[in-house]
Amino acid sequence: MKKLLAVIVLLVVFLAILIPFTSSNPDGLEKVAESLGVEEDEPFWKGLMSDYSVEAFKDPYVSTLLAGVVGVLLVLVASLALGFVIAKRAGSAKSDAKPLKSR
Amino acid sequence: MHIPDGFVTPTTAAVMFGISIVFLAWSWKKVLAEYPKSFAPLLAISSAFVFAAQMINFPIILGTSGHLVGGTFLAVLLGPWAGMLSMTIVLLMQAVFFADGGLIAFGANVFNMAIIGALSFFLVKLMNRNSTSQRRFVSSVFLASWLSVVVGSLAAALQIGISPVFAEAGGIMVAVPVMLFWHVLIGLGEGAITTSLLVSLQRLQPALMGNLALLKGKGKQ
Repeated sequence: MKKLLAVIVLLVVFLAILIPFTSSNPDGLEKVAESLGVEEDEPFWKGLMSDYSVEAFKDPYVSTLLAGVVGVLLVLVASLALGFVIAKRAGSAKSDAKPLKSR
Repeated sequence: MHIPDGFVTPTTAAVMFGISIVFLAWSWKKVLAEYPKSFAPLLAISSAFVFAAQMINFPIILGTSGHLVGGTFLAVLLGPWAGMLSMTIVLLMQAVFFADGGLIAFGANVFNMAIIGALSFFLVKLMNRNSTSQRRFVSSVFLASWLSVVVGSLAAALQIGISPVFAEAGGIMVAVPVMLFWHVLIGLGEGAITTSLLVSLQRLQPALMGNLALLKGKGKQ
């Protein structure tokens, strides 16, 4: 648990330091679509924090950082849950379970 | 490289969902059979890191940017099976909460990034067979991560190129070369970041790198 908290803090610091240096240029695929004159339709699902920003916060730095922190937590919780399901299922399916080393 | 909804036809999307589900089911089985119970924290930390790292776009040339995908990084750190699942979680959260990559195109995005990234593990493994050379390891990781981005972008180019949305612009014949052009460059960033991440982890946290010992021929097959 302590380790996870430390990781969360480290990732928040990581984002806080690097977000100002993030390039706002289009990425490879966006650039391709742009250069070929293909417009992205208004998506039917906009997510809750579209484009990694929290609308309630006007300042782009704060908004992106907040979205990043929420995202980190969401991914952390989701993969922890998956990890625990794996542990449980792997435990009950003992018959063909092997230790990691034998891979 | 996240394909938004609207860039792929429903048929393409459905086919890619099908292919991705087969790979994920295969990974799921492998993970259940081969991973230790104490695996959850490392899985969670790695996924969270890749999510954060994907937010940081680095500029390349001519007003274009790229960011780490992290498929090879996860595959070498966690092994291909858990690496595939880890990346799928990152992509799922991005699609659901941040509309980065479409929901309909989700299967395609999983294939292009999670599956191709995980499969790059086998290139690293092949290149390090019977070798404990660090230089060999570094170059294999660089090549595998570069390739994972280039091959992923080729897959994405084919998927969007056959969509009528891109027909007027020239379809596949245009989409493939331009996608490859940018991702050959973006892949260099992927290679540099993945290599430095894994080499530093190897130095700082050698215990985490159980897979690496196997890769490098120190363990038994």
